[in-house]
Amino acid sequence: MGLLSREAWAQRLGAFRASPSAYMAAPEGEDLGRDLLSDLRSEKLSEQTKVSMLALSLEYPAQLWPDAPAAEAAATSLLDTLVLLPPRPSALRRPLLLAATTALVTGGVLGPTSGASLRLLPLLLGLASGGDLGRGFGPSSEQRPLQATACECLRELESCKPGLLGGCLGLLRGLLGQEGPVAPVQPLSLLLALALRNTLVIQARARASLQGLLTVRAPPPGGGPWNWTLAQEGDAHLQPQAPSWPAAEEECGLSALEPSPEEARELRAAVAQLLDTSYLLTPVAQAQLLWLLGWALRGLRGQPPVLFKPQLVRLLGTAQLALLHAVLALKAAFGEALFTAQDEALLLRRLTLAAQHPALPLPAHLFYLHCLLSFPENCPLGPAGEEAAPLLLEPQLCRGLLPNLLHDPLALLARLHLLCLLCAEDEQKEEKGQAQSPCHYLQELLAGLQQRAALTGGPRALATLCFQASYLVALCLAGHRTVLAPLTHGLAQLYRARPALAPHFVDLLDRVAPELGEPLRVVLRQEVVSRPGGGEALRWHLQMLAKVADRDAQSATLGFLQAAAAHCTDWGLQQALLRVCRALLRVGVGGGLADLLQALARQLEDPDGRDHARLYYVLLSHLSGPKLGVALGPSLAAPALTSSLVAENQGFATALMVQEAPAPIRLSVGPQRAEGPVPVLQLQVEVLEPVYSLELRFRVEGQLYAPLGAVHVPCLCPGRPARPLLLPLQPQRPAPAQLDIRALYTKSTGLTCYTHLPPLPVKFADLFLPFPKPPEGARLGFFEELWDSCLPKGTESRLWCPLGPQGLEALVSRHLEPFVVVARPPTSYHIAIRLPPDSKLLLRLEAAQADGVPVVLRTDAWAVLPLVGDYLRGLSAAV
Amino acid sequence: MAQRAVWLISHEPGTPLGGTVRFSRRYPTVEKRAKVFNGTSYVPIPEDGPFLKSLLFELRLLDEDRDFMESRDSCSRINKTSVYGLKVGGEELWPVVAFLKNGIVYACVPLVEQTLSPRPALISISAISQGFELLFGIQDFLYSSQKIDTELNTKLSQLPDLLLQACPFGTLLDANLQNSLDSISFASVTHPQKQPAWKAGTYKGKPQVSIAITEKVKSMQYDKQDIADTWQVVGTVTCKCDLEGIMPNVTISLSLPTNGSPLQDILVHPCVTSLDSAILTSSSIDAMDDSAFSGPYKFPFTPPLESFNLCYYTSQVPVPPILGFYQMKEEEVQLKITVNLKLHESVKNNFKFCEAHIPFYNRGPITHVEYKVSFGQLEVFREKSLLIWIIGQKFPKSMEISLSGTVTFGAKSHEKQPFDHICIGGTAYLKLHFRILDYTLTGCYADQHSVQVFASGKPKISTHRKLISSDYYIWNSKAPAPVTYGSLLL
Repeated sequence: MGLLSREAWAQRLGAFRASPSAYMAAPEGEDLGRDLLSDLRSEKLSEQTKVSMLALSLEYPAQLWPDAPAAEAAATSLLDTLVLLPPRPSALRRPLLLAATTALVTGGVLGPTSGASLRLLPLLLGLASGGDLGRGFGPSSEQRPLQATACECLRELESCKPGLLGGCLGLLRGLLGQEGPVAPVQPLSLLLALALRNTLVIQARARASLQGLLTVRAPPPGGGPWNWTLAQEGDAHLQPQAPSWPAAEEECGLSALEPSPEEARELRAAVAQLLDTSYLLTPVAQAQLLWLLGWALRGLRGQPPVLFKPQLVRLLGTAQLALLHAVLALKAAFGEALFTAQDEALLLRRLTLAAQHPALPLPAHLFYLHCLLSFPENCPLGPAGEEAAPLLLEPQLCRGLLPNLLHDPLALLARLHLLCLLCAEDEQKEEKGQAQSPCHYLQELLAGLQQRAALTGGPRALATLCFQASYLVALCLAGHRTVLAPLTHGLAQLYRARPALAPHFVDLLDRVAPELGEPLRVVLRQEVVSRPGGGEALRWHLQMLAKVADRDAQSATLGFLQAAAAHCTDWGLQQALLRVCRALLRVGVGGGLADLLQALARQLEDPDGRDHARLYYVLLSHLSGPKLGVALGPSLAAPALTSSLVAENQGFATALMVQEAPAPIRLSVGPQRAEGPVPVLQLQVEVLEPVYSLELRFRVEGQLYAPLGAVHVPCLCPGRPARPLLLPLQPQRPAPAQLDIRALYTKSTGLTCYTHLPPLPVKFADLFLPFPKPPEGARLGFFEELWDSCLPKGTESRLWCPLGPQGLEALVSRHLEPFVVVARPPTSYHIAIRLPPDSKLLLRLEAAQADGVPVVLRTDAWAVLPLVGDYLRGLSAAV
Repeated sequence: MAQRAVWLISHEPGTPLGGTVRFSRRYPTVEKRAKVFNGTSYVPIPEDGPFLKSLLFELRLLDEDRDFMESRDSCSRINKTSVYGLKVGGEELWPVVAFLKNGIVYACVPLVEQTLSPRPALISISAISQGFELLFGIQDFLYSSQKIDTELNTKLSQLPDLLLQACPFGTLLDANLQNSLDSISFASVTHPQKQPAWKAGTYKGKPQVSIAITEKVKSMQYDKQDIADTWQVVGTVTCKCDLEGIMPNVTISLSLPTNGSPLQDILVHPCVTSLDSAILTSSSIDAMDDSAFSGPYKFPFTPPLESFNLCYYTSQVPVPPILGFYQMKEEEVQLKITVNLKLHESVKNNFKFCEAHIPFYNRGPITHVEYKVSFGQLEVFREKSLLIWIIGQKFPKSMEISLSGTVTFGAKSHEKQPFDHICIGGTAYLKLHFRILDYTLTGCYADQHSVQVFASGKPKISTHRKLISSDYYIWNSKAPAPVTYGSLLL
């Protein structure tokens, strides 16, 4: 894009400011950063236009130059522009310095490898120390403002990279102490204080000493490389600078620093030098200086905070927010070491005074009031971090801080909090009945608030204020019946006067503790049900009742609803009515409700309303109490959905339908039983949570087995041993299979769940059954008879069964014991196995050798031969 | 101690957005630190549009408050300071310092140099008070002279340059923006000696010191047995010192006549170099006794260039300057009112003006008035439902005047007649407006001869005094009235 005119730039900057993100996303945003840098050198644009361009770069550098290389290039270009300025007065030098500093910091490029940094830092330090920078740095009239600006830039760089100026402490002290035509005090003081604080923190963390940093005069600007050592140590620690607040005491850790006596003396001198000239600083800068020095000296050994003492009286007299706040910071940092008990009392009085002084603005009052309730006491009694009235703040002192109806809402709530704290104390003293007791005053005030909120047509803010006050009182004075009882009564009156505030009441009931909530619920219910059912306020009454209805006073409630039903002519009112029914269903109201629901199911005009009434009736007559509670309770599935209809559907879906859920059940196959007429699988079951009415369903692919029956268990609890479950198998063919398992169960919450468990294998050997054992003498004959009966229909085969180190005897006793018919240990066994449904498998194991045994087998089922082979070969491995 | 951003928003009720961002300034280097310090709890500064919307909603400045909205109206959302959390894009931006004054919302976001969860106490955040100072400073600058719209626009257009001067990197250098404006023009002056940062240059010309004491008196009068009337004087001493030299020293003493009321709750300007402990401790919080310090009140200081408030004080004078009662009763369709006012004999009976405003809230327009005044005249503002009793420059010799009459109202229409949430039913007040020149209720004065100036040349010293009424209410004694806690302590 070519050179833009002044108007074009004004328009471009305006468009950018209107929405930076939208502008940068559009095609014209792409070149803005580059154009800006190049047009800064244009001779056709006025300085004013260039200042506004630079102002933009001060605010949005990250949008103009989004990455580190761009930021580095921008900073370099800005520095070039600065150097190229003709040597006459110019309004651009200051903003150029600020812009280059900003670009380096926000681009994250400030560091020893950045060329722009290495140019900017000596330049700034040179300007700050008032050295002659030669041609190009403008007339002498600009020197002083530039000196101040350079200090500000250095302070910003030091803030963002602590330790950067650690090597310049001595130089800065020297500049500040200069006689004659001097550098501006404020920027130098603040820069020195910040660099001092950062250096102390970094050295303490590194457990290093101050190494004479306070006295060494840094190398002259321009000569010698910049010292980055401290900054690199500090960089890792641009972490929360522990505020000088007591709660963060431990993080400070300055006590690790042990300055030598000489260093301590120098440090004291530096701090004293800063404090002595602090009156030359503006009030806000004085406050910054005090915070920084408070931070710097806190916890440092051998640095008594008395240095601050001469400043305090002067500061305590002022009305300046920042100064009083800084005094409080010193109070928190040094406590008794700086403030005696009398000082503390005086400070509290000044604070109390400032919190109500008519000459100060409201925001200041409120902040002081906050400070009063968070006052850093020398000897705090209460828990840390909670607002409380300090011990020395006697009720007498607070008189002027109590709320009245003429106060702004913020002030009223802040002062009400204080009043509540006083009431809590007052209650302990048991001085009731006096007209001026804080509790009595509190009641009057609440009554006034309720009266205002009751005003028909009044702004909602007044109602909100009344409920906020009620909430605050309930929170602070939860145990105080003398306060809560009239509050409850007053709120009931308010509802009577203005039922349209029902949403506020519902909100209040949702949030207050039962101390107020329970009695309020009761009186509000009475308030509603004691009315005739019709009227304009019906929708509010129904909304209210949906919140407060419960098992008590059922007949009155149902009576009200019956009367109201006749007036529920539109869909909204019918829904509101049904919501009350639903609330009653949830809390377990039975008899009369069923009649009402039936009546509604006939009588309501709207089909949707009738359907709902019928649905509720069906639910009421079919579901047990707990299940109903779950079904109608707040939906877990959609807690964030605001539509009651969706929430209702979701609630039903969860409660009444079977939910698929991850299994809290683990099944495994137990030891083989090998007895009885059919093979039976022993299943071990474990649960991770209580499970009720568990039904396990099994299925086998194909037609291998006859359909399997389901297994039922009434109740299973984690950690309680369960008896094994027996699953009889009816094979159609003697073959292994996979069991596909599904579980259906109820959780303790009442939800019914369904889950698919991992499949379990039925192994070939799981189907083995023994033949009935013949008498001792007839066994060989019995076996031979079986053996012969296999042929000619069946088949005979020979196998080599490898043996492990234990030998044949161990193998047989472990796997085949129930099936042995004739045994001649250790070398010869005759084994007969029944394979359901009607096959047999006969094995002769004879003449075993060390590494194996030859097996002769006969069976009448051809198909099992490969299975037998696998089985026998697997035996030795399974030992 | 820095600010991440600052905004000025004009509140425009009735417009679609409810307001316009008139000025905003962001500080990206501070934002960079915020990102590190706040860690995972960091919430970026939104663009002006979303910020405006969220802030006006939070401050209840949008018109749409017809329906209950939990995010605004819930009873547990309690704010007790002018520091807010703003919902912006699903996250909460905190802390946002904001307040509305003269139709402008002043807002800034102070940097918190630690994590924001859990939220640290406001007292532990150094940038909070700095933020307030910045906003107060801008407010003072915008309204330091007359509130003419065009001038406001001029001043708003100066703000970018001024903040570049007074707050270049988000850390406030001087809350007195006028001073920053001056420092731009004084830039060429050379400085042989240490120059205070709060003084942009030096004065050249005839030396003169001007001291003005303005007392405002406020009162709540009930005319009831069980409720005490209250009144209080609030004084402001304003100085303008045109003196040569960089650091001229001045001491001003405020004196009281023998029966004067002691000054209390004294707050001084930061340029005051030392304070007597008696001044520091005299406070209205304590019960009064005869031993109370009654001056002279010495204030040694080094003055800034511009006019400044040297100190503020309060005082408890023994009687209110005008004591009165107001009785208002509803009789069928009309109101019957009786007012009686009595000027205390010790008060200078020479007013610049004196008026009693009698408003009628939550009623229709005035249709008919019948009245009798013992002194002065009554003006009737029918549409505003307001009576103004113009008493004039002097009370009559008896020092006591009265008004009685009946007022009839037409039908109420909400748009035109004033609504008030205090004046419900019989609760009503009249408000006195008066001004007396060259007079203070406490008797406080600055003696020309007691002003010490340590500077070259003998300055011309001028002093001024005046008493103004402010919030001077007399409540209808025939109905309940809002009371303060102090009123119950009979």
